[in-house]
Amino acid sequence: MTEARAPAEQRGTSPRDAFRRFMVRPESPALVFLALLVVAFSLSSDKFLSGSNFESIVISVAVLGIIALAVNQVVLCGEIDISTGSMMGLCAVAAGAVALSTGGLVLPLLAGIAVGAFCGAINGALVTAGRIPSIIVTLGMLYALRGVILLVTGGTWITGVPEEARVLGTGTVLGVGYPVIILFVLFLVMELVSRHSTWGRNVFAVGGNRRAARLAGLPIDRTRFLAFVLVGMFVGIASIIYLGRAGSVQTNTGTGLELQVVAAVVIGGTSISGGRGSSLAALTGAVLIGVILNGLILLGVPGIWQQGVLGALILLAVATDVLRRRLVGDKT
Amino acid sequence: MSAAAAALRRLSFSREIVLLGVLIVLVIVMSLLSPLFFTVGNLLNTSRFFVEVGLMALGMTLIIITGGIDLSVGSNLGLSSVAIGFSFAAGLPLPFAIVLGLGVGTAAGLFNGLFITLLNLHPLVVTLGTFALFQGLAYGATGAEAVSDFPDWFAYFGQAYFLNVVPGQLFIFIVAVAVVWLILSRTRFGRYVYAIGNNEEAARFSGVPIRKVKVAIYSGIGLLVGMAAVIYTSRVYTARGDSGLGLELDVISAVVLGGASIYGGSGTIAGTVLGVLIIATLRNGLTLAGVPSTWQLFVLGVLLLVAVFLNEFFRRREE
Amino acid sequence: MSLSDDPGAGGAATVAEAPAIFRLRNVTKHFGGVTAVEDVDFDLQAGEVHALVGENGAGKSTLMKMVHGLYAPDKGTLEVGGETVEFSSPRDAEAAGIAMIPQELDLFPELSVTENLFVGRHRPRTRWGTLDRATMRAEARERLRSLGVDLDATTTVKGLSAANQQIVAIARALVGEARAVVMDEPTASLTEREVQQLFRIISELTSGGVGVVYISHRLDEIFAISDRITVLRDGHHITTAPADELDAEELVRLMVGRPLNELFTRSPHSPGEVALEVRGLGRAGEFEGVDLAVRRGEIVGLSGLVGAGRSEVAQCIFGIRPPEAGEIRVDGEDVRIHSPQAAMERGIFYVPEERRSQGLILPFSIKNNITLSILDRISRFGFVPRAERQTADRFAKDLSIRGAKVSDPVSRLSGGNQQKVVLAKSLAREPSILLLDEPTRGIDVGAKSEIYRLIDDLSKEDKAILLISSELEEVLSMSDRIVVMREGRVTGEFKRDEATQENVMTAATGGRDRSGSDSSREGEAND
Repeated sequence: MTEARAPAEQRGTSPRDAFRRFMVRPESPALVFLALLVVAFSLSSDKFLSGSNFESIVISVAVLGIIALAVNQVVLCGEIDISTGSMMGLCAVAAGAVALSTGGLVLPLLAGIAVGAFCGAINGALVTAGRIPSIIVTLGMLYALRGVILLVTGGTWITGVPEEARVLGTGTVLGVGYPVIILFVLFLVMELVSRHSTWGRNVFAVGGNRRAARLAGLPIDRTRFLAFVLVGMFVGIASIIYLGRAGSVQTNTGTGLELQVVAAVVIGGTSISGGRGSSLAALTGAVLIGVILNGLILLGVPGIWQQGVLGALILLAVATDVLRRRLVGDKT
Repeated sequence: MSAAAAALRRLSFSREIVLLGVLIVLVIVMSLLSPLFFTVGNLLNTSRFFVEVGLMALGMTLIIITGGIDLSVGSNLGLSSVAIGFSFAAGLPLPFAIVLGLGVGTAAGLFNGLFITLLNLHPLVVTLGTFALFQGLAYGATGAEAVSDFPDWFAYFGQAYFLNVVPGQLFIFIVAVAVVWLILSRTRFGRYVYAIGNNEEAARFSGVPIRKVKVAIYSGIGLLVGMAAVIYTSRVYTARGDSGLGLELDVISAVVLGGASIYGGSGTIAGTVLGVLIIATLRNGLTLAGVPSTWQLFVLGVLLLVAVFLNEFFRRREE
Repeated sequence: MSLSDDPGAGGAATVAEAPAIFRLRNVTKHFGGVTAVEDVDFDLQAGEVHALVGENGAGKSTLMKMVHGLYAPDKGTLEVGGETVEFSSPRDAEAAGIAMIPQELDLFPELSVTENLFVGRHRPRTRWGTLDRATMRAEARERLRSLGVDLDATTTVKGLSAANQQIVAIARALVGEARAVVMDEPTASLTEREVQQLFRIISELTSGGVGVVYISHRLDEIFAISDRITVLRDGHHITTAPADELDAEELVRLMVGRPLNELFTRSPHSPGEVALEVRGLGRAGEFEGVDLAVRRGEIVGLSGLVGAGRSEVAQCIFGIRPPEAGEIRVDGEDVRIHSPQAAMERGIFYVPEERRSQGLILPFSIKNNITLSILDRISRFGFVPRAERQTADRFAKDLSIRGAKVSDPVSRLSGGNQQKVVLAKSLAREPSILLLDEPTRGIDVGAKSEIYRLIDDLSKEDKAILLISSELEEVLSMSDRIVVMREGRVTGEFKRDEATQENVMTAATGGRDRSGSDSSREGEAND
């Protein structure tokens, strides 16, 4: 039993209480850090704060952000998914192939989502029914799916994707790019689902206290399975955006994406041990990564340092999570 | 116990026999796939590849027995490799550069070990972070360039032949296997490793120095990675930041294939060695048959899943 | 409230009995070779508070776990509302209106109060099929208000005080339309004021017809709140009586009163120097101000109930967790013990309470378990010598470990022999100070007396022994001195010839002792 005693049970209305409530939220450190970074970068480079630059940042992380929103749910359940990079490559291949053969937008989109959901279902089944730890399942799938991509494409790229299929990547609505819109719409959807659906609340319970969840009779396996399928579906959506922007699919499309996704989730404030976090955390983390990478480019730091920066950020994020918990006196 | 259950029991006890059988079958299959496979020259050359994976798998066995995991070994290999190459290119005499490479590998492993034990974090997420960090350092520090200008004698590690036929690094591997096997099965350190993996709390109550053991195994695999980096760099005669990418899959699969439970508590060096041989045979045979490496990764990925599933399936039947 | 007196020796139901909320008839439950509960009757009437008391191991929690669907009785039946039922899981029990509030509360710290109330339960939905959070919040507030409590239903549970968390747990039971609520040690972390608040809430519950089973060791509370009291001892039902027909003295006697049959006679001896001394030892939330001393050749019994903090004190001395206040002295010297290795170097060894999860590594052989603590002493250049086997054999023989060869897995042994392996491991280290935590729990009489003889022999070898035990007979017959703890503090100290079952039990439970002074809740500040 935690020993923390609340200073006041009533919902205070003073600014200080509101501030404290804000700081306690899982995504606050990331939001604050993001704000600081934005200020720092705009001071050091006047190119930074232009609207087009900011929009291009968000567009560049749209794919990352959409997948992160879904992987966030998996992490909240207490599991992990590092197969999303290969999954995206495969979904993009499927969508691209359908776009080339039948054209249009809807069919390729559905193809991407279907393939993604299928892969997610395999992950989910192996974790729940197969009782294999999710790290191993998704590690194996990461490589297995990469091989499937090669198998299916025979090593050739998919190029010349017709314009109509690329709308979601390149088109705009009222001057705002589709990727940005889709990202925010999906964010709102996830917030709604997370707060207002039974499954959404169960995810928190299953990840937060699995034993109590079991005793309360929650459908633990079904909850986790659905989270993995959700990842697959969101990867499918993201792949259409990727297809739109890139116009082609290579055999190594998506390589390394899985790490960025986990980084986004963790850096944004969702706890790797489950039960704590939010969709806002995943979104913030994705944007934060975009800002950092963009800022590094503007500062002239060579792109090859990206991987290292990502790794350092992950370590920093989990270390601060531990220290924060120790400071709060959380003995869990 | 029913006859079927008794048979299953015998099966799991002689897991090494099963693996040996699988290996033999695999060798036969590969020979059928390509006439080049079953030649002495090729078989011995296969050993060049598996020594690198094998050295790392030896260390990974101890880590997995304690219930941990290390996803950063591949990136660590790249980091150690560029440490050797680039310090040499910068003027450091090659023998010192080699020692530096070993040091970097060990230091990276030590970093993992300290991060995990001092902050009480799960090895999974820490080594996921260092997987990226080490790779980033390797790339960033070297500008993604490569060094290939080594003196002739450097090839001795990776390309030499002993008695004109047997690859030099095989001896290093055999010695390493013997040492790690001794440690795991005959020393108190090995006993501590098994104790921690089976019941960490009871081990603590028995006075087992848990933190020290954990830091030691992560540093140990770091050293083995450093050794593998020396051999690898010598074999391909180039030091690049992206060396070793994806090797963690081979390493973890070998250990799991060899019978170690991913949850910790069990695992043997003999099993790991057989697992390494199987994977090396698979890779070599498929390469000779013209199968591209991505497809090989597919097979490996599926193999990992099947191996873990079967492991746990039989383990639960036994209970 | 008038209830027919039901002294409860498994009689058949009379036709005129009102259906109880639930009733256990002649239930028996075994675990392996141990009988936890034998032929016990228990029933709960609507609107009553029924206290369930007994020493540790008396069978209280087993009994309630059967009511809550975690176990099924081996013999006997469970009736709910007059109908015989069989529960296969806690969900069935909750559906039948029986809610359990365990000591650990089983809440979700990261979720809000409202969500905790509704987890796993039917949640109201809006027109669009989403969760109707406004309705849930309103209902949560209503429930809390009906309990007479004003809590913000949207705060996360982990920020609440222990008392308020408990209120949330109770409210959760109510959302599930519970008609029976079982509370296990509900006041363990509460202040005086919070206890009164809890009692008010319990009255609210009972006036609404809900029945409450109140499991507690605190006799004053039991007499303040309950209508009936049932006493269990060694898995048997001793009595069920209205609360006003009993008093504290009698209750204690019923709880512990067995013929004090001395399993063992302690050898005469004279203790030597003080080997271990502890002053003002404290750890937040576990224990405080603990003073203890153990001399060479002396056996000090540390008595008290579950949760008194005894294991925590011993584990602190052994270096599992560092002390936050106070000091430890070994042989007169101040020592800082920050790890088990440091404790072992000072000659201290701790034999843990939970044999299977803390004392043994079950897949290991007997030999490997015994030598685990001395590997650093017997190994040469890190290698474990073949002679290890002889060492293990010697210990197995000395301790009469029977049932398998030392190379066999320890899981094959009986409980008593497994305990001997744990003891062998500690003795292999040749400690001069032994901390034994429930060394004879769950083992048969024969093995027990062997272990008693062993402990006696050890004291003859001038070892200082701290014997933590909840079994009064054991403590009384083995110890030279008895120290009693309650709720993290030392509440009594008796020499061997002064100690009786009653005064030890009184110090352990805080019931009124013969002199009439109230030893409960002195100086308990509002924390």
